[in-house]
Amino acid sequence: MIKQVLTILLTVIFCLPLMAGDGEYAVGKIPVALLKNANVVKRFEETRYEISSYTKMKVYKKDVITILNENGDEFAGLFEFYDKFRSIKSIEGKIYDATGKEVKSLKPRDVEDRSAVSEISLMEDSRVKIHHFYHRIYPYTVEYEVVIEFSTTFMFPSWFPQPAEKYAVEKSNITVSVPDGFSFRYKAFNYTGEPSIVPAKDGKSYNWQVNNLPAILKEYAAPEWPNLTTCIYFSPDKFEFGGYKGAMDSWNALGQFQLLLNQGRDKLPDAIKQKVHQLTDGITEPREKIRILYEYLQKNTRYVSIQLGIGGLQPFDAAYVTAKAYGDCKALSNYMFALLKEANIKSCYTQIKSGEGKYFFLSDFPSDQFNHIILCVPLPKDTVWLECTSQTLPTGYLSGFTSNRPALVVDENGGHLIHTPRYGIKENFQHRNIKATLNEEGTLLVNAQTSYGGLQQDDIHGLINNLSKDKVKEYLHEQLDFATYDISKFNYVENKTAVPTIEETLDIAVTNYATITGKRLFIVPNIMTRNGRKLTADDERKYDMVFTTDYRDVDSVEIIIPAGYNPESMPQDVAISNKFGKYNCSVKLSGNKLLYYRSIERYTGRFPAKEYNDLVKFYEAIYKADRSKVVLVKQETTKGF
Amino acid sequence: MKPKLLLNVLFFLITISSTRAQDKLKIKFGSVTADDFKTTVYPIDSNAAAIILADIGSTEIVGNTKGSFSLLFKNYRRAHILNKNGYDIGNVEIRLYTNGESEEELDNLKAVTYNLENGKVVQTKLEIKSSVFKDKVNKNLVVKKFTFPNIKEGSIIEYEYKIKSDFIFNLQPWDFQGEYPCLWSEYNFAMPSFYNYVTLSQGYHPYTIKTSTTSRGNFNMADNRGVGATERANFSANVVDYRWAMKDVPALKEESYTSTLRNHISRIEFQLASIGEPFTVRQVMATWKMATKDLLEDEDFGEQLSKDNGWLSEVMPLALRGAATTTAKAKNIYEWVRDNFTCTNYGRKYLEQPLKNVLKNKNGNVAEINLLLTAMLRKANIQADPVILSTRSHGYTHSAYPLMDRYNYVICRTETEGKEFFLDASEPGMGFGRLGFKCYNGYARIISPGAEEIDLNASTLKEVKNTTVFIINDEKGNSIGSIQQTPGYFESVRLRSLAKEKGKEQVFNDFKKMMGEDIKISNTRMDSLLNYDVPLGIAFDIDFIGDKEDIIYFNPMLGEGFKENPFKSAERFYPVEMPYTIDETYNLQMEVPKGYVVDELPKGAVVKFNEEEDATFEYRVSVSGSNLSFRSRLVIKKAYFLPEEYEVLREFFALIVKKQGEQIVFKKKATP
Repeated sequence: MIKQVLTILLTVIFCLPLMAGDGEYAVGKIPVALLKNANVVKRFEETRYEISSYTKMKVYKKDVITILNENGDEFAGLFEFYDKFRSIKSIEGKIYDATGKEVKSLKPRDVEDRSAVSEISLMEDSRVKIHHFYHRIYPYTVEYEVVIEFSTTFMFPSWFPQPAEKYAVEKSNITVSVPDGFSFRYKAFNYTGEPSIVPAKDGKSYNWQVNNLPAILKEYAAPEWPNLTTCIYFSPDKFEFGGYKGAMDSWNALGQFQLLLNQGRDKLPDAIKQKVHQLTDGITEPREKIRILYEYLQKNTRYVSIQLGIGGLQPFDAAYVTAKAYGDCKALSNYMFALLKEANIKSCYTQIKSGEGKYFFLSDFPSDQFNHIILCVPLPKDTVWLECTSQTLPTGYLSGFTSNRPALVVDENGGHLIHTPRYGIKENFQHRNIKATLNEEGTLLVNAQTSYGGLQQDDIHGLINNLSKDKVKEYLHEQLDFATYDISKFNYVENKTAVPTIEETLDIAVTNYATITGKRLFIVPNIMTRNGRKLTADDERKYDMVFTTDYRDVDSVEIIIPAGYNPESMPQDVAISNKFGKYNCSVKLSGNKLLYYRSIERYTGRFPAKEYNDLVKFYEAIYKADRSKVVLVKQETTKGF
Repeated sequence: MKPKLLLNVLFFLITISSTRAQDKLKIKFGSVTADDFKTTVYPIDSNAAAIILADIGSTEIVGNTKGSFSLLFKNYRRAHILNKNGYDIGNVEIRLYTNGESEEELDNLKAVTYNLENGKVVQTKLEIKSSVFKDKVNKNLVVKKFTFPNIKEGSIIEYEYKIKSDFIFNLQPWDFQGEYPCLWSEYNFAMPSFYNYVTLSQGYHPYTIKTSTTSRGNFNMADNRGVGATERANFSANVVDYRWAMKDVPALKEESYTSTLRNHISRIEFQLASIGEPFTVRQVMATWKMATKDLLEDEDFGEQLSKDNGWLSEVMPLALRGAATTTAKAKNIYEWVRDNFTCTNYGRKYLEQPLKNVLKNKNGNVAEINLLLTAMLRKANIQADPVILSTRSHGYTHSAYPLMDRYNYVICRTETEGKEFFLDASEPGMGFGRLGFKCYNGYARIISPGAEEIDLNASTLKEVKNTTVFIINDEKGNSIGSIQQTPGYFESVRLRSLAKEKGKEQVFNDFKKMMGEDIKISNTRMDSLLNYDVPLGIAFDIDFIGDKEDIIYFNPMLGEGFKENPFKSAERFYPVEMPYTIDETYNLQMEVPKGYVVDELPKGAVVKFNEEEDATFEYRVSVSGSNLSFRSRLVIKKAYFLPEEYEVLREFFALIVKKQGEQIVFKKKATP
C-alpha cells in the first residue's frame, strides 16, 4: 500500500513539472497533419515591414521553427545578409527542447560575421551574420528575432512562409505598414481572400496570414515553386535608392529609372570613337557593323564583377571600361551601347532574369525581378540580341542563359517588355553519324561525327572555349559513357551563326564493347546516345508537368562486325509517338554490317498530373530500347552428309 | 610504401655551396621589351593559357618596435597571358592573417599590365587606391584583392608586394608549383642564427639551385609599447642565406584517387625549431616526447584531462547507462558523446572553448568532442589518450618531427580488457572502434607520456563485401530466389545515411533499379540498421517475371559488380591512393530454369595483378546436372599503387568490367 502511494506520489511529482513546463512550442502541440512528410515545421512567423519614408523601412522578423530530424538541420541556422542599404539592428535567438522548455539563448559573441562576396565577383559589399545552435537531440525548436533597417524601398522582399519542400507551416503572418501617400502593389499566389487593412499611425497597415500549410513533396518536372506554395510579391509604386528617385508602377517607369542611372555614362574617349569609325565607316549593312563592334568588344574586354552600393544597378561608365578593359554585365552592355551609338546604331540597355530554365516571371507585375543585363539592338526587320559578358558567343545568340523570356528593354522613352528569341525543335538538334568496326576481341573502333545545334551546343561551346585542349581531352576521358576507352582523335568546329552549330569528330577505341564468346556476339547497337532517366510510377502525382525545351536527336550507326555471324536475337523496332514526344529505333543486320537508327523528339508544354504515369512508361520504354542488345551466333560450318 | 621523393626532411647546415652566376634570373620590375611578347607558345606546355615567367619570393627576419622580430616577405611575379582562358591569372588575392591583436600588413604593392601596341610596349598601371579591395572574410582573415587593368590576349602582367608579419611561428610555405606552368620559381630565406627553422621539401620536380651562404647581419629592435622611453637593442648575428629555385615547373594536375594534391605539389615548408643567442636558448620544436608533454600541459589541449573534472559527475550516469564491463562502459560513453554532440569543424586540433562549455553547448570542433570523450572515459577509470593525426585531404605527416601544422584532427585511443580501440565521436554514423577512412593517412601520434607513434595505413583497412544468391524453380516452373548481402563497412555507412535521409525503401529501390524490370523484389529485410558497430545485413527475395523467350540471356551478377572502369584516364602522373583495400565475393547457386538447358557459359578466369598478387580477380562458372554455380571474387590487398603500376591496374579493371558483364545463355529444350 505504501509502495503504491509512493508510486502515485512519484508519478504526480514527475508529471506535474513536466506538464507545467510544456511550453508554447512543445512538439506535442503541432497538429498531426503537419507532421506528414515534414522535416521541419514552422511554428510561428511574424514579419513586419514598417515603412516610414522612401528611405526608411524597418523590417522585423520573428520565426520559430521545429526541426523534427537531422534532414531539417539545414533550416535551423540563421543567415542574415546585409550591405550598404540594409543594416542589422539586432539578433536574438533561443532554443527549446521537445517539451518547449528553453534550453539556452543566443549570445552575441556566438554570431559570426562573414564576407558574403559571391564566387563570381571580385568585390561586393554584401556581408552575412551567421548563427547556429548545433543541437542534436530531435525534435528541437529554434527561435530567432531579427530587426533590419533598409535605407531604400527599392528592395521589397517577397513573403515565402514555406521556403522549401518537406517544410510545413503552422502559423505565419506578414504586416506591411505604410504612411499616407505611399502606395505599393502585391501579387499573391495560392492565397485565398484579401489582406485585412486597418488604419495605423499616419497611414495604413496590411496583413496577410496563413495557417496549417502541409509539407510539399517536390515532383519531377513540377511547375516552379511559387505556383505550389503560398507566397506574395511586393512592389512599391515609388522608391528612393542611393540618392536617386524612381517609380516602378509600370514597366515604363522602371525603365525610366534605369535611364536616369545611365545618364551621361556612355561618353567614349576620343581614341575609341576613332576606333569605332575606323572599324565601321564605309560599311552600310547595320548587321555587319554590329558584328564588327561586338567582336571588338569580345576581343578587348573581359567580365569582372564589382558590385558596390548603387553600383549594383548603375553601370561603370564607358570611359572606365575603356581604361580597365573590364566590367560586369551592366558596364559592358553600356559600353557596347556607346560603341553602337558612335556608329549610329540605336540599341537598348535591357534588364533580364537570367539562368538556365529560370522562366518564372511576373509580366503583369512591374517590379525588380532582374539579375542581369544584355543589349537589344532593334533593326527595321528584326532584332539583334547581344550578351556582352561573353568573349565567345556568336553575334546575336543568347544561349539557354537568357533566351525565351520577357526582358525589360529600355529606350529613350522608358521601358517595355519584349520576349527574347526562343530556340525550338528545329534549332536544338543533335545529329550523330557513327561508323564503327568491331574486332574479334570485342574492341570497337568508333568514328562519331556529331552536329549539335542551338541549346544543345551550349555546353560544348562552354567546354571548348573555356578549357585548353588537354583539359578537353581529360574531360572527354572522364565523361563518355563507356567502361574503358581511349580517345585517339577529337576535333570541334564552330559555326558561329546567329543560331550556332558545332561539328564534333571523335575517334574512340572502346575496349570490350561487345562480348564475344565462343559462339555468340553480344552488342548494344546504340553506342552513344542513351537516355539515362528512369522515373518511379506514382498514382498520386499532384502537380502538372512542365517541359520548357524541345529538341530532336537523330543517330545513324553502322557497325562492321567480324564475318560469319547470324542473328539470334534482334531487338524489336520501337515506334512511340505521344504528346511528350516521339521515339523511334530500329536495327538490322545486312551482311556483316549492323545498321542502327534512332530518333527522339521532345516537346514543350504543360501536361496534367494524371498523365504522369504515361510519361513514366515513355521513359521506361526508351530506357530499355536504348540498352537492348543484339545477339548474334556464329554460323556453323555445314557438315556434309 | 611511399616514393622517396615525397617527403625529404632536411636539417639546415647540411650543404653550403656557392651560387653560380649563370643561375641568376635577369628579370627586373618594369624591364619588359617588345621581344618578350614574341613567344606565343612555350615549349613547357603548348596548351597553357598563361605562363608564369618568374615567381620570386624571399623572407628575412627584421626587428620591430614591439620588442621582438617580424617576418618580412617579398614576392615578385611576372606572367604572360596567352589566351582568354588565362585571364584569371590577372585576378590576385593576397591573404593577410589577423588574430585581433596583430595584423599582417601589406606594403609597396605595385602592379602593371604590358601590351604590345603597334610594336611598342604600352604600360597600364593598377590604381592602388581605387582598385585594390579589402575583403574582411572573417575575424582571422583579410583578403586584399585586385585585378589587372587592360588585360588582353598576349598581355604580360607583373606585380610585387611586401608583407610584414609578427607571426614568427607562421613562416609561410613556398609553392613552386601551381595552376599554371612556371618557368622560374625561386625562394630565398635569410635565417639568423637566433631563429633556427627546419625545412621540409616535397614533390617530384628537382631543384635547379639549392645553396646557402653565411654572412654577418645587424639587427635592430625597439620597444615603444611601454610608458617610458623607447628601449632599443642592436646586435649582430650570423645569417645563412638559403636559396632554392626550380626551372620549368609543370602545372599541377587534378586526378581521381588522389587523397590530396597537397601531397604532390612541389613545395618547401618551414617550422621554427629553436631560438638561440642572444635570446634565452630554447628548443621550440623538439622531440615527440617533449611535444606531447607540451600538448598535455596546454590548456587548449590536454590540461583538463589530468584533472578530476567534477563537472562531469552529473552526466556520467547518463552516459554509462548502467554498463558493467569496462568495454561496455567505454562503448556507452562513446555512443553518448557521438549521439548528443554536433561537430562544427572537422579540421581542428586545439580547444576553442573549455571542455566544460563543450558539454554545456553540446557542440564543438573535432578536437573538443574527442577530448571530451577522452576526459569522460578517464572519469570512468578507463585508460584513454588523445591521438593527433592528419586527414587524407590534409596531406601526409612525417613521423620523425613533431611538425604541428601537419596535424589537423584529434581522435581517442582507449584500451579495455586488453584490447585497443580507436574512437571518433565526431562522426554520427561511426561504430565503436571504427574510424572514417579519412583518418587512415599514415603516421598518427598518441598524446601520452610514452608518445608512441601509430600507423593508420589505408592498406590495413579492408572493405569486405559478400553477396550470396540462391535461385530455384518453384512448383509452377518459375525461377525464384533470395539474395543476402553484407556490404562493406563504409558502404554500410553510406546506405545507413541514405536510409535515414530517404527511407529504407530507397535502398531497395536502388537494388530494383540495378536489377532491371525483369526481376521483382519482395520480402525486404535490413539488419543492423542502428547497430553501427557492424556492417548492414541486407536480404530480399526475387522473382523472375520476364517473358520466357526461347533463349534467355542471363547475367549472373544480377546488376552487381563494376560497370565502369574506375580508372578512366589513359595517363597517370601521381600514385593511386585508394581509401581502403577491397575483398568482394559474389556467389550464386542456381537451378537451371525449368524446360531450359545451358547453351553457353562464359569462360572462367583467374587474373593476377602482379607476381605478388597485390590484386586478384577470380571468375568461375560451372554446371553440374541442373545446378549452376557461379563465383566472382575481387581481392585488392593494397591501397597504394605507383604511377608505373597504373596501366596494369586500368587493364585489370577493364577485364573485371568485361567478365562481370558476360552472359549465361539458356535455351529452351526442344520439345520431344
